[in-house]
Amino acid sequence: MKLNLLLHLTGIIILISLINSCSYKTLPTTETFPATEVNFLSGKEGTITLRSVGTGVNIEDAINSAEKNAINVLLFRGIPGSEQKTALIGINETEEINIHKEYFTRLYGEDRYKTFVMSSIPSTELIKYKAGKKSITVDIKINLVALRTDLEQNNIIRKFGF
Amino acid sequence: MRIKYLILAFMLLQVSSIKVAFCQNAATNSGGQVAIVQPKIMVIPYIKDGEDLRTILEADVTKRIAITTIKDGFDKRGFTTVDFIAKLKAAKDNNVFTSENQSDIKSQIIQFSGADVYVQAEVIVERSQTSGQSIKLILTAYEASTGNSLSNKVGESGKFYTEDFNKLASKAVENCIEDFLNVMQNKFTEIVNNGKSIIIEVSFSAESQSKMSTEIGTDNLPLSDQLEMWMEKNAYKNSYHIQGTTDLKMIFDDVKIPLKDQTNGNNYNPNKFALELFKFIKSLGLQPAKEIKGSTIYMTIK
Repeated sequence: MKLNLLLHLTGIIILISLINSCSYKTLPTTETFPATEVNFLSGKEGTITLRSVGTGVNIEDAINSAEKNAINVLLFRGIPGSEQKTALIGINETEEINIHKEYFTRLYGEDRYKTFVMSSIPSTELIKYKAGKKSITVDIKINLVALRTDLEQNNIIRKFGF
Repeated sequence: MRIKYLILAFMLLQVSSIKVAFCQNAATNSGGQVAIVQPKIMVIPYIKDGEDLRTILEADVTKRIAITTIKDGFDKRGFTTVDFIAKLKAAKDNNVFTSENQSDIKSQIIQFSGADVYVQAEVIVERSQTSGQSIKLILTAYEASTGNSLSNKVGESGKFYTEDFNKLASKAVENCIEDFLNVMQNKFTEIVNNGKSIIIEVSFSAESQSKMSTEIGTDNLPLSDQLEMWMEKNAYKNSYHIQGTTDLKMIFDDVKIPLKDQTNGNNYNPNKFALELFKFIKSLGLQPAKEIKGSTIYMTIK
């Protein structure tokens, strides 16, 4: 009886370890660089509205993540189809964040990025994502002129001209 | 012995007077801060055959609105442009126009304005009774010295059932100006990193005994090769292009110079580069004369 229980337990442990080894965690690159789903909605007179997906443990967390994703894509990727087709700062975010550590600590660490967000309107309900997280899609309006001016004044990018 | 001291004292006096001559005036001393010299940008209208650049804006309010909105786009980026209408008036007052040829008038006003970059705006009005009216705008930015294109964009207002072409012109500009300025800024970044383009023309005066094939210098090489070797050493990041060499002329149609002096961080300009070339030609035992117009250096060997 005891031997039978031991065999059953061993079997369950092997099954769990097999499931774990087959999970998405085996692909570290997708873990390190998760997809930032940010798309252009509209843009007018120095503002840009983006539809962004964010994840978090609750709605507030998920909206914050969507806002950070939207700002990040503007800074380091650019939005095709919009007036800001190219990255505001540059494509190499690791290098840029290292060079301007202090600015990015304030921007993201102290939630300064929120001062460039004019509105965040969820366009979906909070839905189950993975690893206990939930995701939400948010329409975010960003003050592009203020963001660019702030980058210029903090010498992150050059002003127009030489 | 006393004479020696007197000579020494006189020499010291000379040195101190030189120092005074080159010492910065206290009123203008910025404490070593250097503000980079910005390019001068002018927005001009595109002209078709039979149109006159001097009168085209007076006759067409839609073009005036398009140009004003383009200038406003630059202003919003904190950049002040040279006003075309003001420069046109000043050019007329100064009798700058010496020809009735429209391309000459365009070059004369660009040269007179001192613009480093000019933006040409073509406004196309499309009228349709059935599908609505629209305006298309073609914006092109050129580097005045070389004619290199810096940015090109087409803006469209979209079709509307309206006679308000002025509003359509503003809409066409607004739809493309940010993108246009972003591309221009990328080109400016390239200029900051790789240097500004200038043109150098080396020629001979009528009475000159030298030619490009004249063997000269300690290594007895033809003058054209001496000039190319110097350019190879002195062009910023070794970037230069020779348009052509004849026995009487050598044209470098694209020589890169830095925006800042690499030794002290001060602003660098074609005049300073011309002086270096002038010194080199003198060191070869020749007598040059230099003339600088905008970003073009004319070096004439006597």
